Amino acid sequence: MNTVKQSLGGIKRFFIEIGELSYFAGRFFKEVFRPPFEFKELLRQCYHMGNRSLVLVMVTGFIIGLVLTLQSRPTLIEFGAESWMPNMVGISIVRELGPVITALVCAGRIASGIGAELGSMRVTEQIDAMEVSGTNPFKYLVVTRILAITLMLPLLVIMGDAIALYGSALVENFKGNVSFQLYNRYQVDALDYRDLVPATIKSFFFGFAIGLVGCFKGYYSKKGTAGVGLAANTAVVFTSMLLFVIDFIAVFISDIFYDL
Amino acid sequence: MIQEKEISQNNVAGEGEVIIHIKDLYKRFGDNNVLNGFNLKLYKGENLVVMGKSGSGKSVMIKCLVGLMQPDSGYIAVMGEEIRLLDRTTLDILRSEIGFLFQGSALYDSMTVRENLEFPMRRHKEKLGIITDTTPLVLEALESVGLADAIDLMPEELSGGMKRRVALARTLILRPKIILYDEPTSGLDPITAKEIIELMRSIQIKYGTSSLIITHDVHV
Repeated sequence: MNTVKQSLGGIKRFFIEIGELSYFAGRFFKEVFRPPFEFKELLRQCYHMGNRSLVLVMVTGFIIGLVLTLQSRPTLIEFGAESWMPNMVGISIVRELGPVITALVCAGRIASGIGAELGSMRVTEQIDAMEVSGTNPFKYLVVTRILAITLMLPLLVIMGDAIALYGSALVENFKGNVSFQLYNRYQVDALDYRDLVPATIKSFFFGFAIGLVGCFKGYYSKKGTAGVGLAANTAVVFTSMLLFVIDFIAVFISDIFYDL
Repeated sequence: MIQEKEISQNNVAGEGEVIIHIKDLYKRFGDNNVLNGFNLKLYKGENLVVMGKSGSGKSVMIKCLVGLMQPDSGYIAVMGEEIRLLDRTTLDILRSEIGFLFQGSALYDSMTVRENLEFPMRRHKEKLGIITDTTPLVLEALESVGLADAIDLMPEELSGGMKRRVALARTLILRPKIILYDEPTSGLDPITAKEIIELMRSIQIKYGTSSLIITHDVHV
């Protein structure tokens, strides 16, 4: 009986949280178009989130390109389909692996960072101090961060994809004696707008989800310093779950258009 | 319960202009009645200390006063304006007349001391007039608290007492008419606490502010 009660309580809390998150998102859309605009802080956040995540995304992308090619190669050789390697790797990376893995890496780095930073600002009353000084903290802290990661993530995904494709080409160059240029040309030829456009669009949504959840968890952080850790932790867990849900919906919708 | 202790030499309670008026203020969190019909009047030029043990609702009261929290019921007026009826823009203008020293100083971690002091000026340029260079204003506020040398330091490089002084300088930057102190000496050693109390007195004399001080420190 207790287990059932606990489960129902958990489900109730989950839906309450979804409701609060939706309200938070609504407030973002209300504030984003209303002056004053915090351009300077937006640029600072873009630099902070974009530039400082670049190395991490590039290293991850490169390793994914290497590993995917190394793992797929023996199977494709067994079926005599080695020539399909650039197509398979290119499409997998651009359509799915690049956006999802880049978003997950950024969720770990950025959502947790935002959650901890805003959480710490909340418990040390810095957000209250901002409010008292006449600055709208939601606009200054939340709107700028969500916008920055929404704009930066697609660029990071493009960079990560490019590096992953080079990683794949490097493996084929060493193992399969295929020239770098030829392999890359096959990879690029295999891609069309139906691969690139949905992947780029869903990257914007991924970025929005990372910023939204990170800010939501941090902005309403409670329970002192323990709450800061909890905000950072739950921001990553919740964002990761949300990314997969968004990915599923994006694949489902793009699949409908792909068939047209 | 919260107790009021009038320490002003400038006004006798009941005379002069009422600058803060709180009447029948109620606030509860769940079953906990934090404020139960709280009343207070602060006169112009007066220093008023509100004392009470931890959890008695002192900080809640002071946060209701600046609109950081909404009371369940009651009347709160600052300089004749009823806080609960003000829209965001008017409330922000009124807030520029109120300096708030937070319990933990609440300096922005990611900004230097200079940027911390410049931050409140962003939204109140009309009040300060046309400013091309903010440095003289920042330096003047820092000199008032004896920390002009710390202008380019980060908050993490400051001691607890220095942080409290910088926070005090930040409250002065907009030339407020009222300063609210939330536990100004908490977490400080007795010597530093005494310095902060003396600083609060000197600021009141220099700027002619009215002060509402929330504390559980009997030395204040």
